[in-house]
Amino acid sequence: MNNHVIETRALTKRYGAKLALDALDLSIAAGHIHAIVGANGAGKSTLFRILLGFLPPSSGSARILGRDSQQLTPEDRGRIGFVNEEHTLPNWMRVSAVADMQRHQYPRWNQRAYDEVIGHYHVLPEQKIGQLSRGERAGFNLALTLAQGPELLVLDEPTLGLDVVAKRAFLESLMYSSATESCTVIYCSHQMEEIERVAENLIILERGRLAHMSAPEEFCARVTHWVADIPFAGPPPAGVPGLLQVQRIDGLHHYLVLDQDEDFAQFLRGAGARTVQCMPVSLDRAVNGFLAKNHAMPAAA
Amino acid sequence: MRDLFKAELLRFRGWALGAFAVHLLVLLFFTRLVDLAQQPVFVYRVAGGVDALVGVLLGLYQVGSYRRPNVWLNLLHRPLAPGRIATALLGAGMVWLAVAVALPVLLAAAYQAGLTARVVDLRHWLLPLAAWSLAACGYLAGAGCMLGRPRSAIAALVLLLVPAASQASGAWALLMQASALAWLAAMVTVSFKPDLSAPPRSVPATVLLALPLQVAVYVAIIVVVQVGAQVIWMVQGTHPNNTETPPKGGQNETERMTPEQRMLTGLAVSTAPEAPLWREQVALSDVVAIAPDLDVVPARGALTNAAPVDFDDPARGVRWTFSHDRMRLSGYRIAGGRTVGTLGVGGTNAAFPAPTVATRGLPGQPKEDRSLLAGNMLYHYVSETGQVFPRIRLPHGEWLLGTAPVGENLAALSNHALYFFDGRDVVASENLLRPRQRMPIPGGPGGLHNLELIELVDGYLVSNAYTSYDYTMAGAAPYQTVTWVHDDGRVTLAARRPITFDYPAWFRYQSWWPSPVLYGLRQGVSSLFAAPDPMQVANPKPRPRSVLWLAATLMLASLLAALWLIRRRALSLPGQVAWVVACGAIGLPALASLWLLYSACERAPRTRLEPAAA
Repeated sequence: MNNHVIETRALTKRYGAKLALDALDLSIAAGHIHAIVGANGAGKSTLFRILLGFLPPSSGSARILGRDSQQLTPEDRGRIGFVNEEHTLPNWMRVSAVADMQRHQYPRWNQRAYDEVIGHYHVLPEQKIGQLSRGERAGFNLALTLAQGPELLVLDEPTLGLDVVAKRAFLESLMYSSATESCTVIYCSHQMEEIERVAENLIILERGRLAHMSAPEEFCARVTHWVADIPFAGPPPAGVPGLLQVQRIDGLHHYLVLDQDEDFAQFLRGAGARTVQCMPVSLDRAVNGFLAKNHAMPAAA
Repeated sequence: MRDLFKAELLRFRGWALGAFAVHLLVLLFFTRLVDLAQQPVFVYRVAGGVDALVGVLLGLYQVGSYRRPNVWLNLLHRPLAPGRIATALLGAGMVWLAVAVALPVLLAAAYQAGLTARVVDLRHWLLPLAAWSLAACGYLAGAGCMLGRPRSAIAALVLLLVPAASQASGAWALLMQASALAWLAAMVTVSFKPDLSAPPRSVPATVLLALPLQVAVYVAIIVVVQVGAQVIWMVQGTHPNNTETPPKGGQNETERMTPEQRMLTGLAVSTAPEAPLWREQVALSDVVAIAPDLDVVPARGALTNAAPVDFDDPARGVRWTFSHDRMRLSGYRIAGGRTVGTLGVGGTNAAFPAPTVATRGLPGQPKEDRSLLAGNMLYHYVSETGQVFPRIRLPHGEWLLGTAPVGENLAALSNHALYFFDGRDVVASENLLRPRQRMPIPGGPGGLHNLELIELVDGYLVSNAYTSYDYTMAGAAPYQTVTWVHDDGRVTLAARRPITFDYPAWFRYQSWWPSPVLYGLRQGVSSLFAAPDPMQVANPKPRPRSVLWLAATLMLASLLAALWLIRRRALSLPGQVAWVVACGAIGLPALASLWLLYSACERAPRTRLEPAAA
């Protein structure tokens, strides 16, 4: 039996001449928390909109919970929770009324999950949504979505615009909720510290294609940071194997490289390095370096 | 669904109750000043327009507030079918429109019925429903504008033209409004889907969305042709209506003439031996112009008043209002408003055969007396006795349109003939008058623009100028006749003068050649459920060959363009065939709808964007 919650085959989406998704082949297994990262314009939001049936693909196929994404039924939608960065909720309604509405609409409503999450926030049932702070709205939205009892929960940059305290509260609500144990979570964010905390699988999209998929620590292990003391100009960047990023700070050359072992030290020494030091990198640094490698820049830069 | 419905009710509660209060106050204020049930049709049109506008604004705002991608996703991504979500949202809007638009009208009608002696008929009790229906049409049209791609979704507004253009009256008018409402509801339902930019998939959905779009394009073509051509002519100084000297022998020249000049121009082509003598008599005589007292004939049960339905009798201090329910006049004191009962025909107080329209009194009668036109009958309201007597009875099927004194005699115009009555008979008794002469009018009354006559020693000389619809395809080719009505009742045509068109054929037929099929649809819809209006009969002229060729050329061009366009649209083979046939049959509007409804196929760019390898 196919146990993938999301499957795309050669999924392509074009906006005129621009490719948002470029023959994307992606299979996400059920269970776990999967993080999707990518630079702006990598195709993350387009992917979600296609998966939820709000945008047609130009070509290829997309399946979610085993169903063609363009043929989702209301029952299918009841199995998929979705939270976006806007936390769109009816401002004119009271918290209790919104919760009641969701309770009536979702047959698998989990009151315990709702109470668990909403307990992290000082949200009163009689408050109007419009009176909630951005963090409270995010928490309330998460509580509503988790209480729906989704089999798949998609979070599209849910902490965007939240302050540090609200972000932490949101993540803790998510991580310690019993509701997430029984569902697959797709977490899309630019905040690497969040990814590091929650994700068990890291998916990197770049220009509409799958650039990488593995556990976050495996990806970190592939990226290394080398500091070399090279008295004169270093080797030309084009000749540096696996180069993601190079900087010269205080006379030292800093190389961020992909998939390089001790041979890279030999390479640096061969290029005139007097000392060479290798350091591990954080996920934030690794992903940023990875994504920055192909970042478009003016020809003169 | 019920929760969403309640949520939307809650959302607009304040606005709706505020609108209800304002609307009610406005109606009650005007009710104190005038009888709102008996206002001219213009007032109802303005009120209906405001109702529809309120609906449009609500629809635009409510659905527009959900249109942003993330909000739309949040609304539709739930375990409810889109149709049920739409029902919940729009149902709430409909309820509030009933409260804000219909309920105040109902309360105002109840006030007039319960606390005044004014006439409130069944047709007035239908007005709240009509108001709600118009507002609901506007509401769904506004909502429809927000669903789908803006360039095509705006066509939903064109369905508001259905109640505006329909000639049906009374309950039939409500049926037309309900039809437009049903179409709009179906349009909104098929458009209410996750992917708003997606074209319709099924045949019914395609028809529901494409037909209004085609009508909108058709209307746009007409507006552009009509306004564009006229603006250009004005700029050039060649517009027939604006030139100092109108085109010679044309409609404008005829209409700008004085009645004497018109009669003399008509006589100028007469070969009758009496023509020189008549020309001298025209110069010496008083020329009498006769115009219909009605623009349209009133229909029983009509929601609006095509003509005034009440008149005052200052001598008795009574205002008489025609009641469609009782088919009699219902009176109340102008001072104090106390009811004075009903007034029918003769001593038996019989019902009138048709809704009455009060006009000036007959010649030689007291000035407080009035004439009442009702179908083929003319009644004399005698103020002194407070009675109504039948004075003129035309053949069954004719409509009496107006009367005018001619010297000491009386002329009466119907939709078929001009009658002359002896003035002495008018004042001698209250008996039915017998016409002395009857002159059939040569064309349909809709095209008759000027009717003038002079008295001769041995009859009447009558000029008819048919120029009313010269600028459209609806009327007859313009012409003028001069007819001699003999004393003994014989009728002799003295002259017939053809009048040239001031406007070119392509301008006159602007509503036909863009799409003969849609023109037919327009005519069919506007006359659906409507009783034939004798005032509209105009005996249209045959279409010129040049216009037929123009229409055929456009249809062929549309077909060929469709063959090119469908290759660039993602359509099934049956869909392609259907669209090509539709473009050939319907013409440019169908071609435009094909272009607007469907996006071009997404094709890979020539230079593929190659992402760099990780």
